[in-house]
Amino acid sequence: MTSVDGLREQVAAAPPQTSGQQARTPRSRWALRLIVRRLLILPPSLFILVTLSFGLIELIPGNPAVAIAGSGATHAEVQRISTQLGLDRPLAERYLDYLGDTVRGDLGKSYFSGQSVATELRHRMPATLELIVLGLALASGIGLGLGTLMAYRARGFAARLSNWLTSVLQSAPDFLLGLLLIYLVFFKLGWVPSPVGQLGLADESVAPKTGFMLVDTLLAGRAGLFASHVQHLVLPVVTLGLVYGAFMARLTESLLSKALRAPQVEFARACGLRERDVLRYAVLDVRGALLTYVAILFGTLIGGASILDRLFSWQGAGAWALDGILKLDAPVIQGFILAAGALTILAYLACDVASTLLDPRVRDDR
Amino acid sequence: MIPEAVPRVLDHQPSRMRRPRRRGLPIWTSAPVIVGSLVLLGLLLASLFAPLPHDPVRPDALSVLRPPSWDHIFGTDRDGLDVFSRTIASASRDVPLALGGALVSLLIGAPIGLLVSFPTRLADWVMRALDLFQAFPLVILAVALVTLTGNDLQNVVIAIIIINAPRMIRLVRTEALVLRSRRFVEAAHAIGASRSRVLFRHILPNVTEIMIAQTALAAAQAIVVVAALSFLGVGVSPPDPTWGLMIQSGSQQISTGQWWVVLFPGLAVVVAVSAFNAIGRGLQEAQR
Repeated sequence: MTSVDGLREQVAAAPPQTSGQQARTPRSRWALRLIVRRLLILPPSLFILVTLSFGLIELIPGNPAVAIAGSGATHAEVQRISTQLGLDRPLAERYLDYLGDTVRGDLGKSYFSGQSVATELRHRMPATLELIVLGLALASGIGLGLGTLMAYRARGFAARLSNWLTSVLQSAPDFLLGLLLIYLVFFKLGWVPSPVGQLGLADESVAPKTGFMLVDTLLAGRAGLFASHVQHLVLPVVTLGLVYGAFMARLTESLLSKALRAPQVEFARACGLRERDVLRYAVLDVRGALLTYVAILFGTLIGGASILDRLFSWQGAGAWALDGILKLDAPVIQGFILAAGALTILAYLACDVASTLLDPRVRDDR
Repeated sequence: MIPEAVPRVLDHQPSRMRRPRRRGLPIWTSAPVIVGSLVLLGLLLASLFAPLPHDPVRPDALSVLRPPSWDHIFGTDRDGLDVFSRTIASASRDVPLALGGALVSLLIGAPIGLLVSFPTRLADWVMRALDLFQAFPLVILAVALVTLTGNDLQNVVIAIIIINAPRMIRLVRTEALVLRSRRFVEAAHAIGASRSRVLFRHILPNVTEIMIAQTALAAAQAIVVVAALSFLGVGVSPPDPTWGLMIQSGSQQISTGQWWVVLFPGLAVVVAVSAFNAIGRGLQEAQR
């Protein structure tokens, strides 16, 4: 379910149960059945995720009580903190407590700030999602455009230029590109405001309703703030778009050049279809694999955008989780792993359903 | 952060049936492989033996944040450390760590990948576990493990293994699955060869080249992982230079225009990554 292969395997492995009878079921009902079947996997996956995120923190050596108390603390102090955090109770008891709390939506409190982890996640995850979704949208645009160019006009000058460009972009860490963009676009050209977060330092924020700053500023009717937020979004989104656009372009290129050599393309040309339509059919052929890749990127970026979070002082979940980790703040780490894992599983699920629905070879088989 | 933390979709596709290679030049003699190896070797040797113009860890309080000049060809950073000397000196940490991490991933991933290519119940479980593992924010997990096991540069290898070993398992498994349906494997089974003999005498020799190419690509990505983690301050011990640490120290001056502190170690990362990638892709090409 996590790679193109996996997806194909899964699609192929799904038994063609009594196809004669199901072939007549209307498409909408078939789609519903598919979605329900996929949703049924969700609870066990989430249960395993919760168990693992609890277990990982438990198994890792190092006592958080020692870390909180500091190196100069006496044994008694460490003991007191352990009792306070409930670390001295038996493992099974704590696990059951953790399960119960998680089901009720209580992810505990940060050891250091005392803030509720669930509340923090609710405030910060939207900011991260805003960045990732926009960045991936830009990356898909860039990737599809450059990839098609490289596959279709493989010997042209533009294709060779973008080939070179994408291999350089693939070799650069995203934070390096972000820094160079800050230098060029902010310092040299002055096109965007300084990278100090989602709004300028002087802007007063609006009360969060949805948590998505783009929506919140519009709901509050603050056009100025909205514009300011859009300007602050430009650099991080462009950074994500360029780096992951390069990866998308490479993938598009290799898939599409294979698709363009397929017999149906030859057939389409022989039928006298316009080149534009021929190319369109070839792109349609590869969209399933591209969709899967976008889902994989989404999952990676929920945790992976944390450096960019920090670079652009974005108030996202990634930077917050990183701080939590460096301080050994177990509830924060567990909460973030849980939230990121759940979002990733949901993204894979959505991609799985969407690509199955989009693919007529699978859809019409049943 | 780590671009290639993304499983490379293409890497998991089994390569085409290979023709028996013509006798002639061995595969490592293709141009990209040689150039890439020379670049890396040069960097490593320079960092270990070359006389550096300045001490990479002794600050010079009189020349702070100087732009590139004849004395400091890459400029100096906010502590008055020479950027050129530090960029070169970093290679002796970044490159061996990345290579070591990639090799350990190979040693762990390849045998598991071979074993799970047989359809046993255990193999099923391992693949399920890998799928689930992918739902974890690997970067965060890696940072957490490195921090908790002691904030030591050597432990960054753990992070590299966590990210790369699953991919190696998948790759080796996919390749082995293709080979299993080949005649010579069937023949080996037919004459009564044991499972381990088939795996290690018949399948393993046919996947080694792909594994080596993948290891080079993994090392390329590991360079980025090491840079990213030391950018975050994980596993570093200042003032000992690494490229990530240098970029981090320069990041605070980038919006006031001191570009050289970030650019030169950044270029070094790009060069090292490209060199590993060239080796990996060169080896892959040669197998076609």
